[in-house]
Amino acid sequence: MGAEIWLGLLSGIAFGFVIQRVGASNADKMARAHLMMEGDIPKFMLMAVILSAVGLLGLETAGVANTRVLPTSLVATGVAGILFGIGWGFCGYCPGTTWAAVGEGRLDAVFALIGGLAGAAVFAHLHEFFIPLLYDPFNVGQITLADWTGSMPVAVVLLVFIFGLCIGAIHILWKGKNDGQTP
Amino acid sequence: MDKKNTSPIYWPWLPAAFALAGIIVFIFATFGPPASSSGFVSLIKGAVQTVAPDYVENNPHYTTMPDTGSWLFAFVLGMAIGGFAAGRTGSIPVRDIPEIWEKRFGNSRIKRFAATFAGGFIILFASRLAGGCTLGLFISGSTQLAVSGLYFGVLIFAVAMITARLVYGNTGKEE
Repeated sequence: MGAEIWLGLLSGIAFGFVIQRVGASNADKMARAHLMMEGDIPKFMLMAVILSAVGLLGLETAGVANTRVLPTSLVATGVAGILFGIGWGFCGYCPGTTWAAVGEGRLDAVFALIGGLAGAAVFAHLHEFFIPLLYDPFNVGQITLADWTGSMPVAVVLLVFIFGLCIGAIHILWKGKNDGQTP
Repeated sequence: MDKKNTSPIYWPWLPAAFALAGIIVFIFATFGPPASSSGFVSLIKGAVQTVAPDYVENNPHYTTMPDTGSWLFAFVLGMAIGGFAAGRTGSIPVRDIPEIWEKRFGNSRIKRFAATFAGGFIILFASRLAGGCTLGLFISGSTQLAVSGLYFGVLIFAVAMITARLVYGNTGKEE
């Protein structure tokens, strides 16, 4: 238990450091990413997933991976994705970046954090209403790409290909690296 | 400071992605899928527990989540410390109101703080409905090839891009 807390703290410090340095905890950069003005943050996120998926495949092969796939609920995951997108596009913070931004000293992130705690508390209170209504009836289980491709390495190759295409598309469609500063 | 997005004060995305992936793989080896919206639940659970332990014990959302003495809460606390350390040792300017928000809505702190409170409320409410956020569901999920993470990821990016257009209009393009 004690070791787990130190591991969590250490992992969080490293994670928070990196996302601050790349600019993900800056709501201005996040808004510019959403407005297709700067592609660095989404490219960073997608590339991190590609590399993590390859690394996780290595861990699985070595037998030391701890995985837990969340189920897909067609309605709950979908409604939540839409709501989340509204909140993210509106304020420029997501739950993880909020903590790093609070540490950095951004006061607006402190309010995002307090709002987040309130949102979590309200959802917890309404859990018994929403989960049976939106989640459970549409839960199609812990499905993964590997269920479709029949093999995990093939699924990783597919994921790398799809995310690679997205990075390429961002590179082309988002304005050039220097455009954010063109007066 | 308008050129800050091109200046070297920010790490370039590719090496940063390698660094983050290294951390994520380390977390998968030593703990499990990383998550951050869970840390919010752990904190609020710990807080509510002190005043209404019976309520927490009977709430199905809190019973599935550890309280503050957990990896999940230590992780988000660590993120704040990491953000603090990176901010103090780097030269990224810290603002209470983002530049683009100020251009669009002015420099009222109350307006911005009310907006981030509302935004924070929505993203955490949504994360708890889906079971995870950008990290816990999209990044962790996609890394594990989970359809839930990919489905959530497509929606959050698409809707956030539409929302940002509605919120900011042509503010960014005028530059």
